Amino acid sequence: MTIASVYQFLGLVVVASPAVLLAVLALPMLLGRPLGESTQGHVTKAAILSGLTAAVAILFMMLAFDSRHVVIELGNWVAIKQEHFHFHLKFVFDRLSVPFAILSFVLCGTVGAFASVYLHREPGYHRFFLFYAMFLLGMEVSSLAGTIETLFFGWELVGLSSALLVAFFHERPGPVRNGLRVWTVYRAADAAFLIAALTLHHLTGAGDFDGLLGTGPWPDDRAAIDAGHALVVGLLLLVAAAGKSGMVPFSGWLPRAMEGPTPSSAVFYGALSVHLGTYLLLRMSPLLEASLPLSLTVVLLGLVSAAFGSLSSRVQSDVKNALAFASLTQVGIITVEIGCGLRYIALIHMIGHACLRTLQLLRAPSLLKDYQSLSNAIGKPLTGGSTFWQRFIPERRRAWLYRLALERGYLDGFLDQYLVWPFLRAFRWCDCFERRCTNWLAGPESSTPGRITVSEDSLEDVL
Amino acid sequence: MTASVQHEDTRSEPARTGDRFAALREAVGHAAHVLPSQGPIEIFVHHNTLHAFEHLPFDEAVQKGQDRYGAQPYFSEAAYREMIGTGRITISDLQAVLQDEVADHDVDLIDGLGRRVEIQLAMLRHPLLDGTAAERHWIAAETDAFDRLRSDVPARVRENLLAGSKQWLTDSIAGTSTINHASDDLVKSLLKKFGRHFDHWSDETWERFTLHLLWKACRQGVTNTASVPRQTRSFLSPRDLLFQATGEDINRYVHDVLIRFCGVFLDQGYADWPLPDRDQGLYHAFLSLYSQPHHGPNLWMLGLSKELRSLKHEQTSAEESIDESLDLLGIAEKDREEFITETLLRLRGWAGMVRQMEVTGQQAVRPVPQRTLIEFLAIRLLLERRAIAHVGRESLGKSGSIRSILEQATAQIVQPETLSLERRAFLLFQVAQIRGWQPSRLLRLSPSEWSQLVTEIEGFSSIERRRVFHESFERKYRVAALDAFGNHARRCRDLSACMADSGDTSGATASVKRPSFQIVCCIDDREESFRRHLEEIAPDCETFGAAGFFAVVMNYKGAADSFYKALCPIVVVPNHFVQEDVGYTFEGVHRSRAQMRHRLGRATYLFHTRSRTFLGGIIAGITGSLATAPLVARVLFPHLTSRIRERFGSLLQPPPVTRLQLERFKASPGPDNGHIGFTTEEMADIVTRLLQDIGLTKTESFSRLFVVCGHGSSSLNNPHESAYCCGACAGKRGGPNARAFAEMANDWRIRTMVAERGIEIPEDTRFVGAYHNTCDDSLVFYDLDRLSASHRADFDRARSVFEEARRRNAHERCRRFASAPLSLTPDEALRHVEARAQDLAQVRPEYNHATNALCIVGRRDWTRGLFLDRRAFLTSYDPTQDDDDHSILMRILSAAVPVCAGINLEYYFSCVDPVTFGAGSKLPHNLVSMLGVMEGAASDLRTGLYQQMVEIHEPVRLLFVVETSPAAMLSIMERNETIARLCRGGWVQMAVIDPALSIDGSNDNDREPQLYLFRNGQFELHELSTLELPQRATSRECYQGNRDHLPFFSIGERKHDSE
Repeated sequence: MTIASVYQFLGLVVVASPAVLLAVLALPMLLGRPLGESTQGHVTKAAILSGLTAAVAILFMMLAFDSRHVVIELGNWVAIKQEHFHFHLKFVFDRLSVPFAILSFVLCGTVGAFASVYLHREPGYHRFFLFYAMFLLGMEVSSLAGTIETLFFGWELVGLSSALLVAFFHERPGPVRNGLRVWTVYRAADAAFLIAALTLHHLTGAGDFDGLLGTGPWPDDRAAIDAGHALVVGLLLLVAAAGKSGMVPFSGWLPRAMEGPTPSSAVFYGALSVHLGTYLLLRMSPLLEASLPLSLTVVLLGLVSAAFGSLSSRVQSDVKNALAFASLTQVGIITVEIGCGLRYIALIHMIGHACLRTLQLLRAPSLLKDYQSLSNAIGKPLTGGSTFWQRFIPERRRAWLYRLALERGYLDGFLDQYLVWPFLRAFRWCDCFERRCTNWLAGPESSTPGRITVSEDSLEDVL
Repeated sequence: MTASVQHEDTRSEPARTGDRFAALREAVGHAAHVLPSQGPIEIFVHHNTLHAFEHLPFDEAVQKGQDRYGAQPYFSEAAYREMIGTGRITISDLQAVLQDEVADHDVDLIDGLGRRVEIQLAMLRHPLLDGTAAERHWIAAETDAFDRLRSDVPARVRENLLAGSKQWLTDSIAGTSTINHASDDLVKSLLKKFGRHFDHWSDETWERFTLHLLWKACRQGVTNTASVPRQTRSFLSPRDLLFQATGEDINRYVHDVLIRFCGVFLDQGYADWPLPDRDQGLYHAFLSLYSQPHHGPNLWMLGLSKELRSLKHEQTSAEESIDESLDLLGIAEKDREEFITETLLRLRGWAGMVRQMEVTGQQAVRPVPQRTLIEFLAIRLLLERRAIAHVGRESLGKSGSIRSILEQATAQIVQPETLSLERRAFLLFQVAQIRGWQPSRLLRLSPSEWSQLVTEIEGFSSIERRRVFHESFERKYRVAALDAFGNHARRCRDLSACMADSGDTSGATASVKRPSFQIVCCIDDREESFRRHLEEIAPDCETFGAAGFFAVVMNYKGAADSFYKALCPIVVVPNHFVQEDVGYTFEGVHRSRAQMRHRLGRATYLFHTRSRTFLGGIIAGITGSLATAPLVARVLFPHLTSRIRERFGSLLQPPPVTRLQLERFKASPGPDNGHIGFTTEEMADIVTRLLQDIGLTKTESFSRLFVVCGHGSSSLNNPHESAYCCGACAGKRGGPNARAFAEMANDWRIRTMVAERGIEIPEDTRFVGAYHNTCDDSLVFYDLDRLSASHRADFDRARSVFEEARRRNAHERCRRFASAPLSLTPDEALRHVEARAQDLAQVRPEYNHATNALCIVGRRDWTRGLFLDRRAFLTSYDPTQDDDDHSILMRILSAAVPVCAGINLEYYFSCVDPVTFGAGSKLPHNLVSMLGVMEGAASDLRTGLYQQMVEIHEPVRLLFVVETSPAAMLSIMERNETIARLCRGGWVQMAVIDPALSIDGSNDNDREPQLYLFRNGQFELHELSTLELPQRATSRECYQGNRDHLPFFSIGERKHDSE
């Protein structure tokens, strides 16, 4: 058995274990006979453990054999010769993807163990674990992706499962509305991503990161396209990353995503999902080096997001929203680090932040008890202290800033007004126009949907 | 503009406006009564969710609750019918309840159609469809409701119906029937539909024909009755009107701002950056925050800042602003109170919290000024006006005054159908099938008979049916409980009588033997099993129940605490202060540990807040990988982690040996040195009071060891933790009360004073305080070092009993947890419950008071050995020692009835409607402002109990069984208004057992134990419906292998004794 085949086997296990988990959970549900809670727990545990073991084994082998770039090829799944398009499944294990893949396994595993107790006897138990498996698969695929199509595939799975989990309690209108909101923002980000992918194909003829980012293993790879193209593609990817990570101006969805059960908030928004955007930037970091304006934009966006997050986090009076904005602060800072080219620091920061935030979110309901014991230890009630903003901002600006923070920067309002509203108006105009045309062609009542008349005593017509 | 006009008005008629404002304040005050009265979640006190309607009878109140809150009064009909399937409700229960209700006027309804009870019973047993016109339409078109008789119609009835309609048809065609002209048309139309050759019709066709005939008969009959006047729908509140007209809910806009703003205003120290101008009150803080110009693109708030600036400038008060808003919204003077109530109820959790904080929150970290609720209303109305204008613009395309928007909306709404002719006919049609009413018979009914029939059927509406179902549901348990109680009492008496006989012959009387030890626990239902197991393991021990503060009313501060907290029922304001001191020896250790705690606390707090900030977050983030260790450990290995934490935590805790500073030297009580504690006189009162309550006053009744056992509960990640602790200690842990009581009762000076009051405690009796954790079933004893050597052996014996009892108790509890296998051994069960208490992910650390259904006040002898399945509050009381005024019973009941009823009713309401009355699922709960929980990112504050807490509960009203005479109970009701209200209003069920009996039957040998049930204002004798009570050897045999509610058993402990 050669080393290459061992790599191939382990790599397959890493990717296949979440895929198998998803299939094992989903198929019985599809057939209407979901697995029992404990069976499901065992299956999940087995999948996570095998995936994690394989990923750790790869890490050790890479350290032992000093290989920095291991590629697992799964061949072309779709090939359209005429258009020079092929959907190429390829996974790359390198210094960026392996830690992130391991992190995903560890956090998902822990949160899975937590959720199996937390959601015990909950009617949506099976649904939760289905989305959970989908999310895990998405995370692993996108972190290990070797081509932009593969990355997009994982990215979509993450987006779909996240939005569905936000709307987990679908018997109330709030979660559904917020889930839809998250989904819409994700779609906008996805659109940017897709355009970027197409552009890349157009420029390099393939979605392969190797072709795009040169051949050097991460983080020593160099971009293979020129600065101008890098700027265009980079900006598109930045929009995608900002949408996924809830950076300004898309931050509005982050607090809304706290509707789901606590473990999903923890792993999806506190830890993994928000970092997927920064992960994309890290993956594409050679592009940043190729274009200075792009780097500057990234730094600027990071700074704005971090400042906004830190400001908003301070005025939130509830635990989950405060933690959501705290996450945003760190994501912003990580983005700044990426923009400055500090790739290793960004990676370490990302991993550390993800773990810490997961713990904090899982323990969020303990807050009351923590504060009681802390105030007993300190000897006075905890009322918050004077903060940076209170000390250094002139009094008359404070109230203004406070309101800005409390209203979450009006970001949702801005998006609604300047992005959504024009679209809606245009579409409504089209609808109006179409209706007028059909009316003109086929008479006035043709295009209005039939009004259902409810007459009081109508059973006679039926009987 | 309007504001200034209003202003001039006020100056011209100051007196009138003053009245108006007073009326407004009064209206808000009235509205506040119906708001939830749950305070900060840190002190969770169970109370009747419908306290505001407690002056009404229960059934009326729950229906009022439905009107007011839109909440379910009972379970759904389907749920009760399912219980008929499982045998939880039997047909005989239904019959008995119906029989009681109709009593004398159970007439034959209309000749041949059956008696009222029969009809109502049929309507209960068989589900009746009742829906909208569209639903009926669908049923007619898509189901075989008009082709086949209902499947629950018995074959015999079916045959009769078919035969009847055949007869009718032949008669009508032959012209022999004495029917009027109208039925000619009926025959014609039916024959036209089914064909003329009815002699060739198949059975199916006859069935269809029968149904159509029945339907026509019902329809025709209903047409002849007086029709229900058509109601036009009108809406008091603009929100409802707009919602009906456009489908847009203005609450969406209003709540978005209001929830966030209330959150930061009420915040007790979570947010780092406090709300600017908070000290000026809600209204002014809002004005100054939202009056800033150039703010945001929120379309719906357009113009708000301008208006707020003018309010600020004109110094308009909250009342003036409300007055103006009400005028603009077009609310008439007479509707104001109702409108204000409805408006405040839209966000009732927050409004209720505002109210609670302004009334009781003066001691809070951030106090909330009076008048805040009025200011809350003012803000709300300001926002509502903006939202209405916005919805008007967006959905109705109308911008203008609010009134014009509302007028347009009124014009747009579709009037709903009322109880239509066919809806009523369809109901009758179904009942007719079930009862097998012949169409021919129905066709012959006169219009007045029809009216009577329709009134009868419709009068037994869905809500009435649910009420009857619920009565039956409760009846089944009540009868079983009273039967079990009566039978067990009989058995006890027989046994002890024969024991006494045999004792006489052998020369050793039972009364000489002292119990091996005695214990008094809280009356809490969770202690029932603990006491039962103790008695099973040590048949010679004796247990008592008393409210878990043990008459010690105090503010308490532990050695590691910085603040006093009240340890007594919430209704009492404690004047006395008790502090835990470390001894002289450990002073130094204590100080250094306190410093260490202080430093660590500061560091933790700093980390906690700074990890959310910019720079602090970077450091926290980069080093955050270290968090993986606690994260993984706490989730995957909770038991191990908690052991490690305990090990290290013990280095920070106060030294192991402490004592209470219990005795006061100075005259007045207070929190400072010298003023701390009680006087000996006060302590003697406390000791006397408790001993009298539990009826332990005779010197010979005391054992050598007396344990006083408080209780509490500990769990992780649980904002509702306080709800699990001792209700008699204001949702805190009751250990210190037990400890204080034991110390008082051990003091010889106090014993002397108690003896002067008539209770002589033997010299060799020692009291020991203890604390029972009902979640992990651990037991801690206090001040054992001070237990004299002479009692060491007694204590060791007792302790081994306690060890065994807590294992068995854990085992019994585990049967309720679906995640604990039924095959657990007691040791594994103990480990299981310990793990539950330490698991971050556990949402059901224990089931708290769920399943509570009984409260027994009396001597333990009557219930000892009766398996009550952890469903009973047990209060000790000895009627033979009470005076003629029943003053001891009076004081016990005046606390026990409201407290136990409060717990029971809160469970009732949270269980029948977990969404409206309860706090919903715990899974998305989000702690806000350190005061309560929201669902997810933003919602109303959720009050009540969360769904995981009540999932195994059976909502039955608490059944009291008090050992006293009916006359005594009636006199107590006369004297205590609360008890009278709860009993007479049917909020609790009250029964008494004859106290004249003595346990050994020596007093009145011929009489059997008599039980009386309080009904319709008087006590009625309860006839035992059975003389059987299944017997089991041990508790474990009663519950082994079963997760459901269990019937009553007699545990054969005494039998073994006597043999």
